Amino acid sequence: LDSRFTRRQVIGGSTRLGLALAAGLPLLQACGDDDSGPSSAAGGPDSRRDTTTIADGLSPEAGPLRIFDYDAYVAPDIVAAFEEKYGVKVEITIFTSDDEAISKLASGAVETDLHKSAGTSTLFKLIESGLIQPLNKTYLTNIGNVVASLRDPYYDKGGAYSVPYTVFGTGIGFRADKVDPASVSWETLWNTEYKGAASILDDVREGLSMAMMRKGLTDVNTGDPAVIKQAGEDLSELTNLMNIKVEIEGYHTIPEGVTTVAHTWSGDMLGALQYLPEGTSSDVLGYWLPDPALVNNDVMCVMTKAKNPVLAHLFIDFLIDKTNAVTNFQFVGYQPAIDGVDGQSLIDQGLVPENLRSCVLSSDQIGKGYRSLQLTPDVEALWNEAWSKFTAGG
Amino acid sequence: VANAAGAAPGGHRNGFWGFLSAPGVAWLIALFVVPFYAVAAVAFGRVDPILRTADPVWSPLEWNFSAMSHVLDRVFDPDDLGAAFIRTFAYVGGALALCCLVGYPVAYYVARYASRWRGVLLAALVLPFWISYLMRMLAWVNLLQVDGYINRVLGWLHLGGSRQWLNGSWPAVVIGLAYGYIPFFILPLYAALERLDKRLIEAGRDLGGSPARVFRRVTLPLSVPGLIAASVITVLPMFGDYYTNGFLTSGSPRTEMIGNQIEFYLRGTSQPQTGASLVLILSAMLLVLMTYYLVVTVRAQRSVAT
Repeated sequence: LDSRFTRRQVIGGSTRLGLALAAGLPLLQACGDDDSGPSSAAGGPDSRRDTTTIADGLSPEAGPLRIFDYDAYVAPDIVAAFEEKYGVKVEITIFTSDDEAISKLASGAVETDLHKSAGTSTLFKLIESGLIQPLNKTYLTNIGNVVASLRDPYYDKGGAYSVPYTVFGTGIGFRADKVDPASVSWETLWNTEYKGAASILDDVREGLSMAMMRKGLTDVNTGDPAVIKQAGEDLSELTNLMNIKVEIEGYHTIPEGVTTVAHTWSGDMLGALQYLPEGTSSDVLGYWLPDPALVNNDVMCVMTKAKNPVLAHLFIDFLIDKTNAVTNFQFVGYQPAIDGVDGQSLIDQGLVPENLRSCVLSSDQIGKGYRSLQLTPDVEALWNEAWSKFTAGG
Repeated sequence: VANAAGAAPGGHRNGFWGFLSAPGVAWLIALFVVPFYAVAAVAFGRVDPILRTADPVWSPLEWNFSAMSHVLDRVFDPDDLGAAFIRTFAYVGGALALCCLVGYPVAYYVARYASRWRGVLLAALVLPFWISYLMRMLAWVNLLQVDGYINRVLGWLHLGGSRQWLNGSWPAVVIGLAYGYIPFFILPLYAALERLDKRLIEAGRDLGGSPARVFRRVTLPLSVPGLIAASVITVLPMFGDYYTNGFLTSGSPRTEMIGNQIEFYLRGTSQPQTGASLVLILSAMLLVLMTYYLVVTVRAQRSVAT
């Protein structure tokens, strides 16, 4: 339980930091143009991207394979199986946020072979600063297992530099014994019946996007000052109306009964099962995911200065093996971005209860989900200021 | 000849003591002056075009003040960052008052009446430092829960035992701050009270003053410099605190302090200039308190000298 607690906390923090930090890259487009991903903006005047892959057919190095990762974000059984298969040691160095990871990798404070869990918005920095190398897919024999919608993702054209690791959406986790599941929507967070027992994610992009989606807006990367300001004011309304909490603790406060409705990530509600008091049925948990939802994923990438680039490729390939992905899911709780590992298959295997089916995204949901794109510095400043005003409680 | 003979050793001694102070000066320069200048270089600097991390500008001639100017506008807006500043000052003021109420009698007792138990009591005062701040705050979370001991005691006393202390409640933050920092208050105050000239108190008694009157007219005025020193040492870290309210109110906007906003901008955004500007503004405000402390201290020293 402790390891899961730590991992969920850092995922929350990393998403918050990653989305905010990556926002503002000068080469990027804002305003919801889904075709204007980072890769399409490559080759700007400041770009230092690496374009050389390793050669085909190389033998694995002697190791040890060095991995940079969140704490407890890969199953120990999977690591042990990889060590046994290739006869090498795996050394994992921990970071606690995307910000910290970028800072340590850029400064050279950490030298690693595989950055296993970069945020999609952080990825652009890693590519353009030349910190990661393009992948040689001849080593990725399981690449066909990745969900179709993320094989050519918006954040990395053709998946040239990255392979998706986990995927999650944003919705509302709730106590099904206190809230009618059929009535749940974003409006539930403004329902005074749950005053003092509601929370929203401590995340600039997630929080303001939720306020925009509540009003029926779909451009969650808008640069319109009026829209951003209104979203901030709508959130400020929650301060006194709902005595809202701004946190990422829904995965344990909901099962503990402290929170009744919480703006949460889908993976957190699957993790909530671990925090149910003894004797409490999992039926008390519920999750509502809008359609389309805001969707995010973490990615794996190989460092340009990797001493064991072949092993790093092979470890990625090992994780996207279907059987290994399901084994890994049982430990980390977040859904792998693997084709066929959907709600029904996980329910059939007894890994996800029927009432939390909506926590597992289908390939279609992943494909059509809204994405938080990187913003220009000026637009990011507007988002930060709206959020800052809300959290300052003015 | 006598003067000349005496001057040489004196000058030698000054050089010796000056040499001994060198490590302290180097420490101050390395860990205060340089970092403080670095904060200014970030506040008035640039960001890396790709990594969006701080790119400090070291030459004041190239500093850009636009971020600071915008932050100042927001700080003086009570519907914006001004709210967090006002709340921070109110919470720190409340916590300091609580420290005075609880800490002064403790420090006074240990300094004046503890006699052979003094060592044990001083060790007990330092004891909280042996446990991490995180653990102590988590303990308060348990105490302040709806079904926690605080509410149970209040229930037994028929004072209402169902209070939601952790639900965005300011008393929880004030109590947490006072508890977390009170050792910083008691120890310097104890040192000051322990040095009080007891003959002055005895003189007050001899002149017919009641214990309460002697305390009010003699002891309390004499302990003002110690109180101010203890207050300054206590409130400085309180102003920068950003985790106590996070623990005790689950990130409620009702209890947001300025430290939370600094953390947000420095660690959660690609606007380090805004975070560094807030640090400088808060430092400027604290400088006023420090100046007041220095003025009072100098006046007290002069009054003793005369």
